[in-house]
Amino acid sequence: MTPPSRELTLVRMFARLTDTLVDDVDLIDTLQVLVENCAEAFGITVAGVLLADGAGQLEVAASTSEDNRAVEVLQVAADDGPGATTFRTGEAVLVPAIPVEASEWGPFTRMAEAKGYAAVFILPMRLRSETVGILILLRTTQGRLSDDDVEAAQAMADVATVGILHGRALRESDAVVRQLERALNSRVVIEQAKGVIAHTRSVSMDEAFRILRDHARSNRLSVSVVAAEIAERRLVL
Amino acid sequence: MILADLRRSDRPVSGLSESFLAAFPVAGVALSTVGDLLGSETLAASNDVSRHVDELQFDLGEGPCWEAIATVRPVYADRLERDGAVKWPAFTQAAVATGVISLFAFPLFVGPLRFGAIDMYSDRPVSLGRGHRELAVAMAQVVSRRVLDSALSSIDSVEMPDSPFSRRIVHQATGMVFAQLGLSMDDSRLVIHGHAFAHDLSVMDVAQRVIDGELAFAATDSGIQELE
Repeated sequence: MTPPSRELTLVRMFARLTDTLVDDVDLIDTLQVLVENCAEAFGITVAGVLLADGAGQLEVAASTSEDNRAVEVLQVAADDGPGATTFRTGEAVLVPAIPVEASEWGPFTRMAEAKGYAAVFILPMRLRSETVGILILLRTTQGRLSDDDVEAAQAMADVATVGILHGRALRESDAVVRQLERALNSRVVIEQAKGVIAHTRSVSMDEAFRILRDHARSNRLSVSVVAAEIAERRLVL
Repeated sequence: MILADLRRSDRPVSGLSESFLAAFPVAGVALSTVGDLLGSETLAASNDVSRHVDELQFDLGEGPCWEAIATVRPVYADRLERDGAVKWPAFTQAAVATGVISLFAFPLFVGPLRFGAIDMYSDRPVSLGRGHRELAVAMAQVVSRRVLDSALSSIDSVEMPDSPFSRRIVHQATGMVFAQLGLSMDDSRLVIHGHAFAHDLSVMDVAQRVIDGELAFAATDSGIQELE
């Protein structure tokens, strides 16, 4: 059997993504599919999405590695790295070779180098004219991301961002803010549930998240719902 | 109903003793923090006698509130003169002289953190039945959270960290303590904050140590302990 063509692979990925945009869409689940798609399609080591909270502070909402060391790199990229630039300007920032000279990215460059990341690509999560978050793609090898790949990744990010408004009244002026807040609040419970599983099963945070996510997917539940059941002692994983 | 009312955070801690006075056949109620964690201070007293009973215990370093904290169990002295004469001779003599006949003490604690007691006295002989005892223990639990939360929230050093990454670590550690101690998530977070305060550490440091397995909490026969 020949492997599916690149076009077919991308079509399937878009289908997976739109599948998450059901009536009671949970943004975290949509973003999780987005980062997993990007990592798989573009040979990315760690992909993550950060959303802005009410105060404009970017916070990790989904990532392909739930290892705290990887999450910390994503957070620093957003706070003191190229992610801050993309969030401010709404433009993609493509860095095929780390280190870079830009001194305002110093903290990120040092941490990325120390942890073995060699390239980083940042795309805006855009909702109409507003940038509500960023997509970060980290890779351990240097090199460009092709124009086609950048375009495909941006298209997937755009589709995922639709989830923020899906099923909501567009007229509600604070609907976006509330959806983002809701996503970040459910992230609190997900982190707590990871801690519960990590302790109960003696596994890493990354493995704990996988257990949580796999249980959610095989039961057609959102990760947030499963996490809440754990936090209320209605479920043990 | 009483418990839900106690949980309402808009009610000041200083007013909590009134709920006990309404629920039990006693003459006075005092709510105090005791010990190293939050210091010794009467937070609420329904009358002068109950305030005096607390102060006597602070000054003498003995009495049912100290025993309740040491054992993390309620103390029921239906006849203080008889039940306390050997265990707390100086306190018993002084308290009986002010007209105390029965005295009950309930510890304030969250997980391994013990920090105070509720004392209830009566000027006529009273004993608490099973229903009253269970209600008092449940009410003391609610008050424990309120008192610790309110004390810690006024201390800058044990605030939640500002950075999203640090908060994430604290949430994960909260989940681990939840699994270790069988407390609610809110109480587990309080345990982390209280441990940070008691050991002069940042909340983030305590959380990281919990995640790294350098600090764990365990429920044992003698209560809940910190394992380092």
